[in-house]
Amino acid sequence: TLTCREAARLLLEDEDHELPTAERLALQVHVKICFACQRFVSQLNLMRRATRAWRKHSETAD
Amino acid sequence: MTDFARQVEGLRPHLMRFARAQLRNDAWAEDAVSECLLAALERPQSFSGQSQLKTWLIGILKHKLVDQLRRNTREATVLVGEDGEDLFDDLFQADGHWREAPRDWGDPDAACCQKQFFEVLQLCCEHLPPTQARVFMMREWLELESDEICRELAITSANLWVLLHRARLRLRDCLQLRWFDKAEAAAS
Repeated sequence: TLTCREAARLLLEDEDHELPTAERLALQVHVKICFACQRFVSQLNLMRRATRAWRKHSETAD
Repeated sequence: MTDFARQVEGLRPHLMRFARAQLRNDAWAEDAVSECLLAALERPQSFSGQSQLKTWLIGILKHKLVDQLRRNTREATVLVGEDGEDLFDDLFQADGHWREAPRDWGDPDAACCQKQFFEVLQLCCEHLPPTQARVFMMREWLELESDEICRELAITSANLWVLLHRARLRLRDCLQLRWFDKAEAAAS
């Protein structure tokens, strides 16, 4: 059982390296029932997608 | 000057902008771009014509940017503690709950493909503390693996993760302030 603080820390870590299985499972359990952390996941996803789109755009566009 | 050389030279301003965004240092960017153009002009036969000339040059430039970072490692890196405060703890109450729940950023497709959004994202990257900006760009733009970044900047993986998570939280704050809050206000 994670707190939101612990879950957010793991979500940030997960952006840059693979989490151990136990931590990943605990995170999945928490996010499934936590609306605020689901929002945080969406924000991280959007930032990742936007950065990728910006990079692609900069390499090919004017 | 051949047609090829003229086309390559014509892309210098674009390459300079790309290099500046990565290195945040005009002199280093100038060096990286000059080396990139020189390498391209020395080996025109390696441009197959299957990709855009600009895309091919960006590929060469990425290697030159890493070379610049390697050469300037000492200047490029500051200690983690000196690179701005950590926003993480401020987000939570003592009991571990969010102080303020993350806001709804809406449809990601709506934001991700807008030129104005890219401009805000760039502005936010420029406002990051120097080392955070550098590791974020190396990770997300130059697409370097974590261990490669650690090697180039002579930092530990733990330090790298701290810098990256600080960068992501700052970008999140900045995007909230400069993009999503404004979109919300415009809609209401």
